[in-house]
Amino acid sequence: MARAVLAQETVFALRETIAKLEGKAVPSMAAARQDAYPAEERAHRLSLGVEALDEALEGGLPLEGITEIRSQGFRDAGASSGFALALSGLMQERGATGPAPFLWIADRMSAMEAGSPYPLGLRQFGLDIARFLVARPDRLEDALWLAEAALASGIFGTTILEIRGNPKAFGLTESRRLHLRAKAAGRPLLLLRHAGEEEASSALFRFLLEPFPARARLLPDGSMLGGSIGHSVFRLTLEKSRNPAPLSFLLEWNPHDRQFRDLSSAEQPLLREDRPAHSGRSLSKAGDRQDIAPLLGAVLAFDRAS
Amino acid sequence: MRLTAVDENAARIGLKCGQGLTEARAICPSLLVIEEDQAADRRFLEALADWCDRYTPLVALEGSDGLFLDITGSSHLFGGEQPLLDEMSARLLAMGLEAHAAISPSPGLSSALARFGGKPIVEAHEAEDVLAPLPLSALRIEASTIQALAKVGLKQIGDLLDAPRAPLVRRFGAVLLLRLDQALGRDEEAISPRLPVAPLSAERRLAEPIQAQDHILSLARQLADGLAPSLEARGAGGRLFELVLFRVDGQVFRLKAGASTPLRDKERIARLFAERLQAVHDDLDAGFGFEILRLNVLRHEPFDARQGDFEDNDRRQQSLAEFVDQVSARLGADCLQTYQLRESHIPERAVVPVAAIEHLMVRKPMQEAAPLHRTVERPLRLFTHPEPLEAYAAEVPDGPPVRFRWRRLNHKVSRAEGPERIATEWWLDAVEDEEGKPKKVDRTRDYFRLECETGERFWVYREGLYDQTPNPRWYMHGIFA
Repeated sequence: MARAVLAQETVFALRETIAKLEGKAVPSMAAARQDAYPAEERAHRLSLGVEALDEALEGGLPLEGITEIRSQGFRDAGASSGFALALSGLMQERGATGPAPFLWIADRMSAMEAGSPYPLGLRQFGLDIARFLVARPDRLEDALWLAEAALASGIFGTTILEIRGNPKAFGLTESRRLHLRAKAAGRPLLLLRHAGEEEASSALFRFLLEPFPARARLLPDGSMLGGSIGHSVFRLTLEKSRNPAPLSFLLEWNPHDRQFRDLSSAEQPLLREDRPAHSGRSLSKAGDRQDIAPLLGAVLAFDRAS
Repeated sequence: MRLTAVDENAARIGLKCGQGLTEARAICPSLLVIEEDQAADRRFLEALADWCDRYTPLVALEGSDGLFLDITGSSHLFGGEQPLLDEMSARLLAMGLEAHAAISPSPGLSSALARFGGKPIVEAHEAEDVLAPLPLSALRIEASTIQALAKVGLKQIGDLLDAPRAPLVRRFGAVLLLRLDQALGRDEEAISPRLPVAPLSAERRLAEPIQAQDHILSLARQLADGLAPSLEARGAGGRLFELVLFRVDGQVFRLKAGASTPLRDKERIARLFAERLQAVHDDLDAGFGFEILRLNVLRHEPFDARQGDFEDNDRRQQSLAEFVDQVSARLGADCLQTYQLRESHIPERAVVPVAAIEHLMVRKPMQEAAPLHRTVERPLRLFTHPEPLEAYAAEVPDGPPVRFRWRRLNHKVSRAEGPERIATEWWLDAVEDEEGKPKKVDRTRDYFRLECETGERFWVYREGLYDQTPNPRWYMHGIFA
């Protein structure tokens, strides 16, 4: 009898240790359960606005710690960088303290293979580039030092660390160190791994990104413009999480509204049904030539009567 | 082959500069000959000039084997001119160098006295007396002039002092009397120091040399503290600092560290050098220790004292500046970059990368030009150098490619948007032919946004139009998300 109680004690102690390692509040063993996550935990999470994905992420993307974004090859670099930047844009949008500086720690080889981040493109992608910094360290050790210093300073809203493949110098120890640093500073670190294998790391979640054909551009009346390329679409696979099986999503990033839309579930209505009777301008403004003469007077958009 | 320099032992057995090597070998068969390396001699002289920085910041090179030191106002730090000369000679002798030195009111006279002997310290009124017995070559004039003067019986400087000036100038040129006047201090001669003089500097001489990094840093902090009043008096803060370390054996190390905002705070200055020392850790050989530390402010800018507000904006700004300084001190100023936008249609010209330390914290940020074309899409990642690709079956005259091959992979285009035509900036890129007339080169780009069947989105362009260029080439310039 006594032995059984002792064994139970040990199990509880071990569970507490595990909970501690995972960074959860120790007394609340309930936190270990999937169904309920405490409110203070939810405060450090960034909801992606897609219900199924938020559910799988236990409330959203952690705002402290490492999140890994992986691509299988350099030909998918556009999708993986795009998703990392979209997350940064979302963090800037939801950030409480206004536009925080934003740091990209580049890898030289990746810049040669897939190009350097282009600020004008970043701005069109929905990011605020007023305080955009790019670091170009020569060695991986310098890149890791930079990431640690950036997290420790606590001033960057988002830090993106770009890594190519699975280098030996960035193993479990190093990622654990960065993770703890990020946790202490309460800042997120997005680890962007190009052409990398799955590898054990301290990241809470790991996504695999693949490109996916975009939908066509949306016309004001809700129809599609044939042959055009609309907002970016990613195929997202949640490889590492608490879910037993990897989950796959199709996400579309809308840079103007700075929000994701889930395309994998049943087709959602493109426009709200209760939209105004007047849809605004019938033609979009010309980018490369003079605009047509504006109409006299103003058209008011009343809500639909019924 | 001839001898260009001989040491004491060689001089004793009768060897001279300019002697043929065979002749010298005949005199002394066991002669050890080393080929002359002028660049190495120069480096050695410059290292010695660095070492002389301990006496005065104004050090200039003279010829291939001399140094001018302007000790105006610094000799009293060493207890006067004679003690200064003694200390310097003793130190140079201890380093294994035989040096001749002289102190006089003019560079020309010092040079003559040091090279041809005489009183080591000469006052202005004695100049004529000590110069008179010296040979003419002490005046640093050309050998041909010396020969010509010797032919008419003028061999010593004293011979020139009393001679009428006009015939001398007519016959031997103006340089002769210019040199004479310069040596006598009647005409001015400027020496050109090797390094600019720092506007502010503080130094510490140590009785016991130090080696440990912590000691260097704590001394740097004290020096920075000593500089603060002078910076405050000028209403300035330092942007570029230099820590000069004099090693016991004469080696001098200079560490530079920049700051993105004007600095006065000793802790932040010391932190800059802490990062810098970490970075140069292996190159900085402390040897038997450093005996003099000097902190120079090489560049300073007006310091705007700001009152902190209750919100944390100011502190956040401050810590961003600190981060930029920290990274730049450790990994170099080019490592951390930010961007400026320019008004240009050419994508790679619309964005100019600049070092963050220079441009992040400028007091009045330069008005950034709004880039043109806000409505057309730009890629997330841009290649620094556009990569050529093989396009198959592109629509003529201005259609996108149907298939293309890039990096040994075939891509099949499913959708395309474009073209966006960007013409050359002729005011920058005009090419001139041999006659200087503008040459017509067609570099117009037609940009297309392509989506492949697998979902990748690319930004490609065709350089040149079909009706003007026989075989326009295609390039990959960026990738979209």
